[in-house]
Amino acid sequence: MTTSPPTSPTTAEPRWVRWTLIAVALAFLVVTLALPLAAVFAGALARGLTAYRSAIAEADAIAAMRLTLTVAAIAVPLNIVFGLAASWAVAKFDFPGKSILISLIDLPLSVSPVVSGLIYILLFGLQGWGGEWLRDHDVKIVFAVPGIVLATMFVTFPFVARELIPLMLEQGRSDEEAACSLGATGWQTFARVTLPNIRWGLLYGVLLCNARAMGEFGAVSVVSGHIRGLTNTLPLHIEILYNEYNYVAAFAVASLLAGLALVTLVAKSLLEWRFGDQLAGGR
Amino acid sequence: MTVSVVGLRKQFRDHLALDGVSLDVQPGEFLALLGPSGSGKTTLLRIIGGLDFPDAGTVTFAGVDVGDRLARDRRVGFVFQNYALFRHMRVADNIAFGLTVKPRRDRPSATAIAARVDELLALVQLPGLGRRYPAQLSGGQRQRVALARALAVDPTVLLLDEPFGALDAKVRNDLRRWLRGVHEAMGLTSIFVTHDQSEALDLADRVAVMNAGRIEQCDTPDEVYNRPATAFVAEFIGNATRFDCRLIGGGVAFAEVRLPNAAPPTADGAGVAFVRPHEFILSPAGQPGIAATVRRVAHTAALASVECELSDGRTVDVAVVADRPINVSTGDRVTLVPTAVRAYAIASTSP
Repeated sequence: MTTSPPTSPTTAEPRWVRWTLIAVALAFLVVTLALPLAAVFAGALARGLTAYRSAIAEADAIAAMRLTLTVAAIAVPLNIVFGLAASWAVAKFDFPGKSILISLIDLPLSVSPVVSGLIYILLFGLQGWGGEWLRDHDVKIVFAVPGIVLATMFVTFPFVARELIPLMLEQGRSDEEAACSLGATGWQTFARVTLPNIRWGLLYGVLLCNARAMGEFGAVSVVSGHIRGLTNTLPLHIEILYNEYNYVAAFAVASLLAGLALVTLVAKSLLEWRFGDQLAGGR
Repeated sequence: MTVSVVGLRKQFRDHLALDGVSLDVQPGEFLALLGPSGSGKTTLLRIIGGLDFPDAGTVTFAGVDVGDRLARDRRVGFVFQNYALFRHMRVADNIAFGLTVKPRRDRPSATAIAARVDELLALVQLPGLGRRYPAQLSGGQRQRVALARALAVDPTVLLLDEPFGALDAKVRNDLRRWLRGVHEAMGLTSIFVTHDQSEALDLADRVAVMNAGRIEQCDTPDEVYNRPATAFVAEFIGNATRFDCRLIGGGVAFAEVRLPNAAPPTADGAGVAFVRPHEFILSPAGQPGIAATVRRVAHTAALASVECELSDGRTVDVAVVADRPINVSTGDRVTLVPTAVRAYAIASTSP
């Protein structure tokens, strides 16, 4: 993904093989990515610019945008803190249970998003463990914004940590040990030595975390209750519009998410191109 | 500043790194910890520096127990094998780091820090390179920056972990001399770890030879080289060849030859003998000695090296002074006649 190794005549495939492989990969990408994206923008503008603008400016759409941004603004910073803490612990210390922690970090990636949402219903829903207590104290978690935030945090938790752990493991502990031997406290070491060393990996992880946070559908769908104007994120709003056969509006709002995807992709590629050697090993 | 360790033990999950190590380093001394990989020398250094903690034993600086002090409170300068320079900071900021993390009341002013940085850059002979980044420096330059950074906080003890391991031979030689000069000019107590015996014997006031978590001998280079105390030291230092022998009343008998034992006196019986490359004489075949076949003659150093193969398949590099012609060539049968030997009783070669 960063720079490709120089091809040497002895180990390179014959030209026609190379071009065939590239053609197959391109065809795959076009069919599964480029065409659908183009279809989104085409469908959004099918009835012209005014229809597009009114779909986006509609009250429920704006509320959905606001909710998506709010959820991301809470979930992403919290996951940055958790990701930093987890990778700091895993990379710089040895403790019993370390491998269990690493497996737990990967857990949200292997669990179906629907299940990720369901666990919060089971925990905080009325029939769940904490449900009665929450109702008595008039605290709303599921079918309200806090539930959406929790579900989003769960599914986006691994992104920052998975980016930072291999990076920090590869960088080792000697920089931190040097800082300690020179008299720095834990916080000074973290802020002035560790963080600058991982800044591009961190940014990369934040990009991925953010993209997922804004686009999460399954878990949020289970937890949100689909209350128009209140608990609908952008992806959920798109689903509602589509179910009402309001295709143009659906595509119009979807184009916002598609636009976000493209921005994320460009930013990601820029980071890889410019700072590829400072991102996680194995890239 | 005296550095003392007594009875240090350190067990890692799968091996015992230190097995009851005791050592006294005198103020102003330049001590080498020498040994093969896995001998525990880096572990010992790290424990002295506070980067690791022993399972048992004490570490004292000038009589004060520093065992429960963290690295940052021990005032040691540590130079790492891979330099561990902060790659996103300029050279000047790297060197100033120890001063800028001091608590506010102890921290010198910005101008004082800058002056100290310039002073140290001059000391390590890198004036004017303060604005560069570590990635823009050569290996030797980075090593000197690492040293300057360690010296910036006025440490009482300087610890170096294989400081020249990653450098090429010429740079290594130049830096060795220079490091010794800095050590003396600043009146430091320095301990450095190396697996390169020529470096240790060349630079140090005393050499502590370590093996499998124990110090086998801690003496001046002269003593370690000429009077090795144990079989391990005799074999490790000076590239000696090992022979089985019999010890009889202060003499050593092996390969049809009898010689006085140059090692400390030891009990009679079975033993191991060590002969160094320059302690052989190349003689014609058939004489009392060790039969060998010449495999290669190399005239590429101050001592010519004649590579000989023994009957048991081992190779011995015999070193011959190159000022006279060497009348052997590949394939000749010769006898290696030992002129000096150090032998130790089998019991002292504990596995």
